[in-house]
Formats: sequence, structure tokens, C-alpha cells
Amino acid sequence: MYGLLTKRLARSLWKTKLRLSAVVLMVAVGVFAGISFGSYANGATNLYNEVYDGDEGINLPDIWVDNPSQVWDGNQSSNLCTQIQQNWPESDYQLQGCESRLVLDGIMFHINSDGQEKVIPAVWHGIDEGDIDRVWMPDDKEFSSGRTATQPDEIVIDGHAAIGMEIEVGDFVSIGAGTERANFTVVGIGYHSQHLYFAQEGVILPAEEGTFVTGYMTDLGLENLANMSTGSSNKILIDVKGVPNYDLLSTANINEGEKLNLLIEVISEIISSNDDAPSSVYDRSGVESVEFLRADAEGAIKMFPYVTGMLAVIAGITIFLSLQRLIQSQAKEIAVLRTLGVPKTAIMPAYILAATFIGVIGSIIGIILGVFVGAPGMLRLYQEIIGLPIDLGVDSTLISQIVIIAMLIVIIAGIRPAWQASRLQPLTVFRGNHEVKLASRNLQRLTSKLPTTIGLSIRSSLRRPMRLGITFFAVAISMLLFGSMLFMMASMEKVMIGGIEDNQSWDVQAYTPPDGEQPITDWVIERNGTYELMINFPLGIEGDNRELQSFGLDKFSTVEDDNAMIMVELLEGELPVKGSSSIQVMVDEGTSSFLDWDVGEKVTIEVGSNPLEVEISGITKGEVLRTMYFHRAELSQAVGINSTSVLIDLDGEIDSIEGLGEKTLGYSLKKDMVSSFETLLEKQQKMLTAIQFLGIIIAMAVLFNTLLINLAERDTELATIRVLGAPMKKLGAMMFWEHLVIGLLGGILGAIFAYFGTVLLVNSFVQWAFFFTVEPQISPIFTIISIVTIISIALTPIGIRRIKKMDLVEKVKEFSH
Amino acid sequence: MSLIEITDLKRYYEMNSGVVKALDGVSLSIEEGEIIVLLGPSGSGKTTMLNCISALDSPTGGSYTFNDKEVPREHAEEMTSFRRENIGYVFQFFNLLHDLTVLENILLIQELSGKRDRKRALELLQLVGLEKEIDRFPAEISGGQQQRVAIARSLAKNPRLLLGDELTGNLDTKTSEMVMDVLVKASKKENITTIMVTHDESLINYATRVIRLDSGRIISDEQVNQ
Repeated sequence: MYGLLTKRLARSLWKTKLRLSAVVLMVAVGVFAGISFGSYANGATNLYNEVYDGDEGINLPDIWVDNPSQVWDGNQSSNLCTQIQQNWPESDYQLQGCESRLVLDGIMFHINSDGQEKVIPAVWHGIDEGDIDRVWMPDDKEFSSGRTATQPDEIVIDGHAAIGMEIEVGDFVSIGAGTERANFTVVGIGYHSQHLYFAQEGVILPAEEGTFVTGYMTDLGLENLANMSTGSSNKILIDVKGVPNYDLLSTANINEGEKLNLLIEVISEIISSNDDAPSSVYDRSGVESVEFLRADAEGAIKMFPYVTGMLAVIAGITIFLSLQRLIQSQAKEIAVLRTLGVPKTAIMPAYILAATFIGVIGSIIGIILGVFVGAPGMLRLYQEIIGLPIDLGVDSTLISQIVIIAMLIVIIAGIRPAWQASRLQPLTVFRGNHEVKLASRNLQRLTSKLPTTIGLSIRSSLRRPMRLGITFFAVAISMLLFGSMLFMMASMEKVMIGGIEDNQSWDVQAYTPPDGEQPITDWVIERNGTYELMINFPLGIEGDNRELQSFGLDKFSTVEDDNAMIMVELLEGELPVKGSSSIQVMVDEGTSSFLDWDVGEKVTIEVGSNPLEVEISGITKGEVLRTMYFHRAELSQAVGINSTSVLIDLDGEIDSIEGLGEKTLGYSLKKDMVSSFETLLEKQQKMLTAIQFLGIIIAMAVLFNTLLINLAERDTELATIRVLGAPMKKLGAMMFWEHLVIGLLGGILGAIFAYFGTVLLVNSFVQWAFFFTVEPQISPIFTIISIVTIISIALTPIGIRRIKKMDLVEKVKEFSH
Repeated sequence: MSLIEITDLKRYYEMNSGVVKALDGVSLSIEEGEIIVLLGPSGSGKTTMLNCISALDSPTGGSYTFNDKEVPREHAEEMTSFRRENIGYVFQFFNLLHDLTVLENILLIQELSGKRDRKRALELLQLVGLEKEIDRFPAEISGGQQQRVAIARSLAKNPRLLLGDELTGNLDTKTSEMVMDVLVKASKKENITTIMVTHDESLINYATRVIRLDSGRIISDEQVNQ
């Protein structure tokens, strides 16, 4: 009996092929997206683990000491390590190693394909190839080759730069640091922890090909290049035994690195008692490149269950609605079966089996698409963006997890309709009462003044508010998928491009050697340009191990006033006033939010290990990194540096910056930074388009399913009015307005859901190292509403075709027999 | 001049088992104001006849003129226009729209025909004795009342011909009589020609003419109650 009942149901399902396909598609999309996003999350996590914790990894330091304002000589460097070793406190963590490093900003003179020499900003690391923070040379030959530098004239060029600039092992490169210049032989292509996320310091975007380069040479090689004494350093790397916990920036309220902080405090005291220059001591959380990779992996791991879950819920909703409709249309058959003595328990399993069948077919399609298209596509794109080798394989455990989640949701969605089917009362069905639902009196009153055709449209659409509600919910979720990308990209574009292109009026930022502004400013004056000096210096926070980037500016201006090279968007408060009784500063919105700092509040920051009290005069918005703005003179007094860079406005098109390279530690062009973001966007475009397309497809399938059910349910009434002479034109118009209203309502709800969903999503992954807010913008809202409305309206011809194809003779027979 | 002239009307269906002759050369002439009952066993062709008369179905052969004009049988929209302009239809299961009130069910048909006339709708409801139920939903009134609404609805656009297919088939005897009284009264008042398909011989009492069909042919055609 069960076999026959199931066969009967299978045939009925087959009759609704179109709707069945939509439902199978939903499950397939859920599984496909789950596998694709999950593989991306796994890829990011595996990369992070392999780089930092794997045997072939780099042995990342646990504590960094950074001296941004000067270089220690050989004696000072070794003395600091000795002091740290001798004064190592009682701790669970034993000292494993202490190594000094020299890291300098510099330039590379690169001959372009057109034969012209281009000066490219660079960072050079002098590495004695000890045990800590080694150059990472993965096995993948496409990404890495050669060996580490062992001779003073050898260099390893970072893979991110080398591949784009077509530098190969055996090539010669001409590089500079300060005013010196020398040729080096490239002996390897590799990577370094500070540059795994390949961006210039203080820049959140990955550098575009040929705009930034890093290289890893021997310590002697860099000392020779910069004309410095043997053993010079400006960083000390400390490795402790084991893997200590450190404070994760994504968990703002918990300090996981309490024990490590005690060590940091002691080391800070050692450094400050041995050297007057302000130095920063920090753990892994203060290293942006490292944190970015971890945050990215963590964000992906957090995100993918949500995405998969959302899609599976949509699939569940469509299955639920479709089975409900199927049962409604089969009510008479079920009633006959029940009258003939078929038990309730025999009715139910077939419907659960139907849901399971839909789930299995959808999952198989989803797995095939996910494994062969989605996952490799996403991983390749991630590989292209991050510029590091990623394992392109798909984990079978992940596939099982996704399929189990999808099948569970699918089966749960099938249980309720199956239960309803088994409880249909034959007498109620034979009297036709199971389909009659008393219309809402309130709705009738509300629409009574409207033309009856419009009233009928509204009432018919709202006849099953629950169905319409969950349809809107499903559409809203799909629009969250689509809209979150739109909202995020619009906000990111505003912050990234707008923040540089519109809010900053400089053309070139030239990094100055200590007290070396004069040659640069002379160069600017010679070219009738204007300049502003700027200090960029890392600051600590009292009682906190996170770091702020301070900016010392000579001129302050809001974007509206447009009167400085770096303008700020003032959210609240005032611009800082120089020479106030307390040093006035502005902090960005993220800093204010994470530290609960408000306008008027006095807070203590740390310059090196020296505390400094400042008063917050204003809060700015739009900074991705945590930022504090000072008047340069006041910051200069605190950090002991006159400037770290010169902002240059060359007034017009920048044709030539010839000669600047020799006077600076390196420089950045604003146009390169803007172009970096545009390139990044371009790279991401395929993935964004794919995700947006996914959202549209889902919204289409969901709306299609519900509107088709609505139409099917109204077959009788449409046939009646057709028999009574209603012209197709009027019915078409009626259906058009109905779909327009449903589309508009769904679109508005979708836009609201997408906006608030995106806000929640962004809030869940913003952290100290990466903060931004999403604002409601007209363009994404309009796009979302338009898309849902267009999808809804596009279903009108299908409805009209359905009515046209209606066999009125058969319908009339049904009405009368 | 007759309202309807049907000559040698045929409706054949091609089936796997062969050709089914639902109507096999029917000829008849119907005058304005007649109340006709079409009787016959199941499969005799009554409903097919009604469907061809209402231009729901296209005859395979023969001629059919309505008010001296050939009735369209090729284009769906022309057939729909013909029904809209000339035909009122009452079904066995009433087929009222459950989301609309009694009055709105009538107004809808007027709107779809392009002439909403609330006064006329109210008059029709008074004619069928439902003036007090205008704001009720179909599910809130009895089967007999629903059928009377259906009659009022079918009259709403002033048809020249009213068709009923087993219109009392779903009602008890007492309610059937009440509905038929209303129908005949309304048809006479509006001077509407009426054709009813039924199995119920008692409806002959309301007719002016009785046509019996069997195997797609007219086997008797007689004037009654003159």
C-alpha cells in the first residue's frame, strides 16, 4: 500500500514539474553556497594555520618591540636582548629566543616593460635567518622559488610583488634605503609575516602590482645598503616556549592574553630604562598583517554557517509551501483514501519521503556544483586577492556537514504539511469546506471603497497572510544576500575611495628620513607645489595592549571647509585647538566605540612606555584603522620626531616625480592607492556578481513558487470570471497590479531587511583592526526594490499564459458535476 | 426572428478509443423569452450543448447564429467577448468569490464588463430577495442564498441569454423551488431567454419548452406550460 501511495504522490509531484524544479533548485543553491563559502572559510583557516603554526611555518614572534623613531646600534641591540633575558620575570611562559632586526623603508628602481625606470616604495628586512619570523617559502612553485639570502648582495623578493613585476630568481634589482643605492641578486621568491596581507603600512587595501615591494636580505646586506653599523636594529622579536594566548581583537570584552600582557609590561620597562626613544611593545594583536589573516579566517568561519543556514531555511520554506499546496490540491484524493480506510500513518510517510527526495536531488546537484564550480572558483579568487597559495581541495567532512544541515531543514519542512495531510477530515473535504477560508472583515472594510477588481486582488493576495509573510521573509533573506554586498560595497567604496579621493587633497606622500624633510620640501618648492608635514606614529593605550595610529597634522579642516590636505568628517565635537591647557585630539568613531571614549573626556595614551594625557575634542568618521589626530607640533614634542612624511600637492597632473626617490625613504602616490581599490573591486567583481546573482535567483525561485501557488489556488475563481466573460486584458491588468504591489512590498521589506541585516553582519565582524559602518544609501535601496518588483512583475505573463491555457470546458464540468 | 438558430451542430472529440460524437447534428431555433429545460441521461450531450451555446466550446460542424450573427468559435477572446455581451451563467456549485461580499460579487462582474452600476446591483439583489445580505461573505450565507446571488450575478450585465448547468443539483427540494421561483421571476422581469441543463424532471414545471437529448441528438422538443 505504501508503495502505491508513494507512486501516486510521485506522479502528482511530476505534474508540477516547474514548481518542483524551483524547490529542488533552492536546496541545490543552499548546498552549493554552503560548500563554496565553507571551502573558502576552510582555505583561509588552513592558510593561517599553515603559515603560523605549521612545521614549515615562520615561527611568528610572540612579542615585538618596535622603535619607530630611530635605529639602535649593534651594542644597544644585543644589550637589550641580554637585559630582557636577564630580567625575564616569573611566568608560565619561558623565553625561547630574542633576536634583533632591521627593517627600513626604501625604494626599488624598476625598469618597466616600456624601458622607463620607475621608483617603487619598498620595505627592506635585514634578517639574520635565526629562528624567529623566518621568510616563508611554501612548496608551491607557482608562488615561491629559490632560497633565502645568505650573502650581503642577495635578496628574496616578496612573491606578491615579484610575480606581478615579473621578477625571477637570478635577476638583478636596484634598490635604495635612505640616500644609498645598490644592486642585489634575487635568490628567492618568498613571503614574510609582516606582508602576508600585502599592503603599505597604514593602508587597508592590498597594494596593486608594481606599486609596492618588500624584500628580505641578510642583516649585513641591509646595513651595507643603508650605510649603518653592524648589528643595527629597530625591532626586537621575542619568542616564548609554546603558543601563548594573546588578546583577540574580535573579543573586545575578554582579554585572553593576560599572562602575555604581564611580560609586555616588564619588557616595556626594560626598554624604557635602557633607551629614551619611545618604543612600542606589543603582541600578535598589534600586527595588522597577521591579524588581518586571522580575522579574515575567523570571519569566514563565522559567516558560512549563517549563509548556508539562511539558504537552507529559504529552501525549507519553499518546500513547506509547495507541499502544503500539493496537499491542498490532493485533498479530495486523500479524503477518498481515508474514507476507504487508509490509516493516517499511511498518508504521512509519503509526504515526508517527497521532501526527502527533493532534498536528496537538490543536495546532489548542489554538491556537484559546489565541488566543481563554487569552491574552486572562490578559492582561486581568494588566492588571487591574497596572493598566497591556497589548498583548492574540498573537505569531505564539510560536504557531509552541509548536506546534513540541508537535509534536516528539508525534512523538518516536510513534517508539518505531512501531518496536516494525515489529519484531513474526509467530510470537511467532500463538503468543500477545507478550501473555504472566511475573508477578513477588516480587510474588506479597508478595501471596500476601492474598485472591486483591486479589492479582490488585495484580498486574494492576503488570503493566506502566513504564506505571504514567510514568502516575504524568504525574499528578504535572499535580498540580504544580494543587498548586503551592495550596501557593504557602497559603504566600503565611500570609505576607501571617498576617504582618499575626496577627503585628501595631496598627490604624493613622501616618507622622510629622520630630520630629512628639507630636501623634500625644497624639491616641492622647486616645482611650485605645496606641502604639509605629517607625523604618523603608533601609540599605546593605558591598561590596554591595542595600538592606535596617531596622525600629527599642521592644518585641520572638515570636509565641508575643504582647507587642508587631509580633511576629516566630523561626527561630533570640534576640531582640536593647538595650545589648549590639555593636548586636544580627535579620535575616530571606531576608537570611540571600542573604548567608550566621548567628546570632552580626558584619556591617557602611551607614547612608547610614557603616559600622555589628552583631551578628546571631536570624533571623526570614515577611518578603517583606529586613529588619533593631533596638532603636529604637540605630537612632535611627545614622540621626539619632527615628521614621518611630507604630503605633497603638485597642483595638476603628476607628470614626473623625478628626483624625489633619492630624497625620501619611499613614497606613495594617491592615484596608486585609488587604483588599488579599483583593482581589488575588479578582482572581487566576479565573486560579488556571483553572490548577487545567487540572491536574485533565490528571490526569483521563492516569488515564482508562491505566486504560482497563489495562481493555482485561484484557478476556480479565475475560471469562473473568465466563463462569465472577463477579458484577458482586464485579468492581465489585475494580475499586473497585484504582482506590482507584492513586488513593491517584498522589495521594501527586502531593502529594510538587507540594510539592518548588513548592519548586524558588519557589527559582527568589525574589530579593532577593521572598523566601518553601513549607512542607508538610496542606490542599493532602489536597486533591491526594483529587482524584487521586476521579478514579481515578470511572473505576470506566466500567470496570463496559465489562464489562457485553462480548459474552460473542463472547468465548467468541475463546477457542475 | 429567433434569438438562436442552430443547424446541424456537431461536436466530435478525437479520443484514443475513437471519435466520440457528443453532439451529432443538432438543429433548433430558440425564441426570445423562452425558458428551456434540457433533459437527458449522463453523456447525452446536454453540457456540450450548453458549452457550445455559450461559446465556451467550439463546435466541429454546423452553424450557430445568435441574434442573426454567427457566433465566434475560433478566437478565444472573441468567444469571451460574446459571453460577456450576451451570456449569463449559473453553476451547480455557485462559484462565488469567497473574498468578496455578496454585493461585491455582482459589482466585480459589472466592472469586468466595463460598467459598474451599484444601483442596478442592489436592484438585482432585491429581485432575488437578498437585499439584507449585501455585506455578507458567501461563506456566511446558505447554499440557496449563494445560488440566488449567483443568479443575480449572472443578470448583472443584462445578458440576453441565461444558462444554468444543474443549478439546483446541490440544493434540497425546498431550496431548489425557491431558487427556481427567483430565477423564473427574474428572467421574466428582465425578458431573458433561459436554458437550464438538469437531471431533475421537476424543473419542467418552470419551463416553457423541454428538449430531451440522447447520444448527441434531440429526441424530443415540446412546448410546455403555455
